[in-house]
Formats: sequence, C-alpha cells, structure tokens
Amino acid sequence: MAEKFDNLEEHLEKFVENIRQLGIIVSDFQPSSQTGLSQKLNFMITGLQDIEKCRQQLHDINVPLEVFEYIDQGRNPQLYTKECLESALAKNEQVKGKIDTLTKFKSLLISELGKIFPEEMTKYKAIHGDDPPS
Amino acid sequence: MHDFVSEVMTEIYSTLFGQNDTQPPTGPAALGFGPGKPLPPMPTNQAPVAAQIPGQLGDEGPTLRKPGAMNEPFYLLRELPVGNDLTGNTNLITHYSLEHAFNKFCGKKVKEKLSNFLPELPGMIDCPGIQDGSSLHSLIEKPPVCGNSFSPLTGALLTGFRLHTGPLPEQYRLMHIQPPKKKSKNKYRHHRPQDPLPPETPSDSDPKKKKKKRDDDPDRKKKKKDKKKKKNRHSPDHPGLTGSQPNSLR
Repeated sequence: MAEKFDNLEEHLEKFVENIRQLGIIVSDFQPSSQTGLSQKLNFMITGLQDIEKCRQQLHDINVPLEVFEYIDQGRNPQLYTKECLESALAKNEQVKGKIDTLTKFKSLLISELGKIFPEEMTKYKAIHGDDPPS
Repeated sequence: MHDFVSEVMTEIYSTLFGQNDTQPPTGPAALGFGPGKPLPPMPTNQAPVAAQIPGQLGDEGPTLRKPGAMNEPFYLLRELPVGNDLTGNTNLITHYSLEHAFNKFCGKKVKEKLSNFLPELPGMIDCPGIQDGSSLHSLIEKPPVCGNSFSPLTGALLTGFRLHTGPLPEQYRLMHIQPPKKKSKNKYRHHRPQDPLPPETPSDSDPKKKKKKRDDDPDRKKKKKDKKKKKNRHSPDHPGLTGSQPNSLR
C-alpha cells in the first residue's frame, strides 16, 4: 500500500520540479532555450501520463472532503488527522463514562429491589441469570 | 437496562394497585392519588396477586398483558439484547492499533502551515486557494473537461510555444516567489538550478525569521536595486503599471 503512494509521490515531485524549471526558463527566455522549453513541455505531458497510470492503483482510496478545506485554507492536513483522533478519544471516554455510570446504577437498583422484592428478584435472576450482559 | 427498569416499574404498579377488589374503583381515588387517602397496603404474597391480575383484567384489558409461561410473573419481559463485544467501554485506539498514529499526531506539536507538510513544493502554498483560484474545492465543483489521452506535442504544435526573448513583465513575476528553504528529510534529492530572482519571503510572525530578515535586508536591497536598473533597461512599456513591486521588503 505504501509503495503505490511512494510511486505517485515520486511522479508528482518530478512533475512539480519540471514545471518549476519550465517557469525558470520562461522567466528570462532566450532563443537558445527553445529546445529546452520543448523538452520540458514534452516531459510535462509524459509526467501527466505517468500520474494517470498511478490513478488505477489508487481507485479504492477515499479522501474525506474536510481535508480539502484544510488544504484550501493553507493549513497542514495532519491537523485534520489530529483533530479526528482527539475527538474519537473524547467520544470514547464520554461513552465509557456513560456505560460505567449505568452499570453502577443497574447493580444498585438490583440490590435495592432485591431488598424490597426478594422473591421477584430471585425469579428475575433465574430468568436472566445473575450476571446479565452489560 | 431500560427494559429491566420498565419491567420492574410495571410490576410495582400492578402489585400496588391491582388489588383483590372485584370491582375496580372509579375516579382519581382509584389510582390512590386522592387527597387524604392512604396508600393501599402491600400484599404479602406477591405471586397469587400477580397471577390473579390476568384473570381480573383479562376480561377488560387487552390481550397483550397476558404474561408468557416462561416469564411469569413478569409482564413484557423481553430478552436482553445480544451483547456487542466492541463498545465504548474498550479503548478503540488500542483496539484498532492506532497508538503509534496517536502519539505521532497528538503527542507532538503539529505545525500549522501547509508548507511545513510540503516543504519542497514551490510557490505560495500557505495562502488560501480562493485568492488565486487554485482551491481544491473549486476543482471538485467544476471539474475540468478531460477524457482525451495525453499525446506528446509534435513540431507543428510546438511552434505555438515560441516566446519573446527577455525577462517576464513585472506583473507575472509573482510566480517565482518561494518560501524560505527549510531542512527536509526528503529522500528524493533533486539538484535544482538557481532561480533568476532571489526568494522573496512572505511576512511571517515568527520572531526568529524576522531577525534573519533584518540581517539580510541591506544586502538584498542592493541586489534588487541593481537588478531593477537592468530590468528597466530591457522591460517593455506597460500602461498603468507603476515602478513599485507588489511585495516589497521593509
């Protein structure tokens, strides 16, 4: 999986570098630079062809749209990953707290009901068992 | 858990208010909430009272209230839901083996700018894409027309790329502005030719970068003055353009 990303990354870096060199040639163009310019233009087309080939290997990769918003704002997309992990952990802790509280309430309720309705509670425990799934 | 509570409450209600009376009382007093009326005494033997309830109310109440043979004396006692192994009770980050990723992104400080993620990318990438129309969002909303295969340019097509000699006009020189080069651990080391213009760094709020800028400013100013003189000799005349550059260092 990482190999196909490395392959795409390599092609993209070469493409960007080619474009940058093309911009340098164009910034101060000389007649002797014409052949170099033509070469760079054809390198740009072959670069696009290589990137197009990489696309087939990555057809199953999904990127969340929120990451694009980070990039459009000029922010590091790793911040999105960080915020996802932090919110997942926070939600995990919140749900765990609810589960623990309800488990304690259930055990307290069973014990108190057992004091007031002992016979019914023994019948209930016989039906559902002493340790019902939490 | 909710089912258990509802079952117990139903049973308590039926035990408290489903008495041995043959005729059910009418009015608010029937529920035992009338003023001054004490609560009915709790029956000592719960099972026969509960067993009598379907006999008493079976003629008047709906058939839903008949308990099953398995779950006597409880009404509407349902099976508990099958316990799910994966709940919020488990640490999901550990479960999905994301500790390394968590320590990497949340343990260390992640830098804010996009140029810290892509240090080798030239151009002003920290600016919002909406300003220069290079946003990914616009690319999704209005995808470019594509479908034709990429074919190399022939000699006849390349004749369209014959350019005028000389440097670019000032209005197009913003394309060469790059952020300051940073140390990167990129495994693909490219030997880059030198740019014709010195890198014009954008204004940063980092005080360390400001100190470096102050040291280099007088040298840069001299170099830029010399280049300006050379360019003014060669640049064509453009209407409406002033001599000041859009990004000038202070």
